[in-house]
Amino acid sequence: MEPFVDLMQGFASALTPKHLLMCFSGVLLGQIVGVLPGIGPSAAIALLLPLAYGADPTAAIIMFAGIYYGAQYGGTLTSVLISVPGESTTVMTAIDGYQMALQGRGGVALGIAAIGSFVAGTLGTLGLMLLAPPLAHAALAFGPPEYFALVVLGLTALAAVGSSVLKGLLTGVAGLLLGTVGVDPQNGHSRFDYGQIWLLDGIEFIVLTVALFGVGEVLASCTLGRLRPVVDIKSALPSLADLRASRLPILRGSIIGFLIGVLPAAGATIASFISYIVEKRVAKDPSRFGRGAIEGVAGPEASNNAASAGAMVPMFALGVPGSGTTAVMLGALIMFGLRPGPEMFVQNSTLVWAVIASMYIGNFLLLIMNLPLAGLFARLLKVPYYWLYPPILALCVAGVYSQDNSIQDCWLLVGFGALGWMMKRYDWPAAPMILGLVLGPLFEENLRRAMDMSHGSGLIFVSRPISGVLLAAALLALTVPTLFAALRQRRALAGA
Amino acid sequence: MHSRPAPGEVGLASIFAITGVVWIAGAADLSLWGGFAPDSGFLPLVYGVLLLVLSGAAIATLFWGDSAPGIGPVAKPLLVLAAVMAAVVGLNVAGFSISIFLMLLFLYAVVEKLPPIRSLAAALGTTAALFLIFKTWLGVPLPTGPFGI
Repeated sequence: MEPFVDLMQGFASALTPKHLLMCFSGVLLGQIVGVLPGIGPSAAIALLLPLAYGADPTAAIIMFAGIYYGAQYGGTLTSVLISVPGESTTVMTAIDGYQMALQGRGGVALGIAAIGSFVAGTLGTLGLMLLAPPLAHAALAFGPPEYFALVVLGLTALAAVGSSVLKGLLTGVAGLLLGTVGVDPQNGHSRFDYGQIWLLDGIEFIVLTVALFGVGEVLASCTLGRLRPVVDIKSALPSLADLRASRLPILRGSIIGFLIGVLPAAGATIASFISYIVEKRVAKDPSRFGRGAIEGVAGPEASNNAASAGAMVPMFALGVPGSGTTAVMLGALIMFGLRPGPEMFVQNSTLVWAVIASMYIGNFLLLIMNLPLAGLFARLLKVPYYWLYPPILALCVAGVYSQDNSIQDCWLLVGFGALGWMMKRYDWPAAPMILGLVLGPLFEENLRRAMDMSHGSGLIFVSRPISGVLLAAALLALTVPTLFAALRQRRALAGA
Repeated sequence: MHSRPAPGEVGLASIFAITGVVWIAGAADLSLWGGFAPDSGFLPLVYGVLLLVLSGAAIATLFWGDSAPGIGPVAKPLLVLAAVMAAVVGLNVAGFSISIFLMLLFLYAVVEKLPPIRSLAAALGTTAALFLIFKTWLGVPLPTGPFGI
């Protein structure tokens, strides 16, 4: 009963005009960045961080969450109408969605995606509401060894999400390393500042995030030419037969998406892949898949939205992000002086419940926007990228400068921006680097406290059950994808 | 048979490896252990060693495993990056508005070869919007140039 009382209080906060406006702005922006090429939700949140600095944290996080799940809706448009997934989470939607569009059923594909996303987003938020508080409550018993192990799990899990565990791990360690620049909070010694006063505060999260996700993303995408012709939309309202065919895929997709989203090592992309495979397996005629099967749109679309809500569970309850975007949001929470993790449900319960309530509202707003306005959003696809990226770069410079009124930060922006471009160019993940920088101080603090507790014995991390289990999970997160990759390579070699 | 690794990716891994070496060297000047717990230099040393080892492994996999070529051309992103660098240099010299306006105009008119009038209008509009948001609305003391803007 308690979560529902808290939720009602959350609604009281989320329904205030200011928060409602932020929720609407967030989902609208999310929808737009999901449609536009070369800019994703992580980049959009990164670009808004300087503007949100010093603002009301609840309003800002409501908007960021809106961008996150709104982008899932937007990514669908590009998948269905031009067969170019705006987000990796909508790759599976492109397979049957684009085929439906070619058959003149693009509007129906978008309509069912909007309905599926709404149902899944709402169910996912319900799951978040029911699962996160008990998980956070259980985690309140965590001591320094458990927090240390949790950070290890968060970093390794995020490193394992990308195309290469090695590259993910490497960039995660690079982030931790950058986190040591500046004054050591424990004893006041300065580290790696090379006599530069401006480095005493360390490398700011905003600077690195805007550089990697803003400048790096733009440099990697500025070579995009004109997009492919956009398929026109007639009506986005599905028929009763379409709804009947989609209801079970939506339900299955919601459950799969939420469960996978909760796992720190997984995310919406994997969820949509699994959902598509499941729908194909249970279909009476699997040969329809790839030729415009509506179940191939409904299932993955539901699962990627439910996974977005699921990814918020470890972020709010444990302080461990389940995806790249939640890693940026985690950094934003820390930027606002909040401490993500179990204590958030006690110390900042108003914020957490307002965000959860806003997710119900946001999903409803997205449904209203998407059914009648799908055609309008589709027109955004016709805006060439060359009109968009110069203002994005200007915003990056202005945003980073304004954070500390520092030209030196702008130089860091250029340097890390170039690094971000190279990382993007060769498919090196940037999110673990951000997470390393954000979680570095927490990692160091808890390592020291745990070692003090154990009088210098490292066994404390494996002898305490929760810490041991978390470290074992971290090890699994690293080894399982590596083993699978090795197996795949072996099979490919055997088949060649 | 293995493909030849992309020089850019080897360079990227090398940047991380060099950073690792710098951190190992820097940690040598710091205390590693104090009482029961690690001191200021311990984790930087561990991170430096880890980064060096992982970068070495990444370079090794590029030579002995599969290496994909980089995505997209290089010249245009470098030109865009140079424009951003010039704008940052210009912040102290010409002020925020002028350097950002010139960067936008260069990107639109020279890099993208868009019509001059439209480029001018877009550069002017974006600069004005950013000035209004950051200077007027958020009160950020943006660097000013010879004309006070």
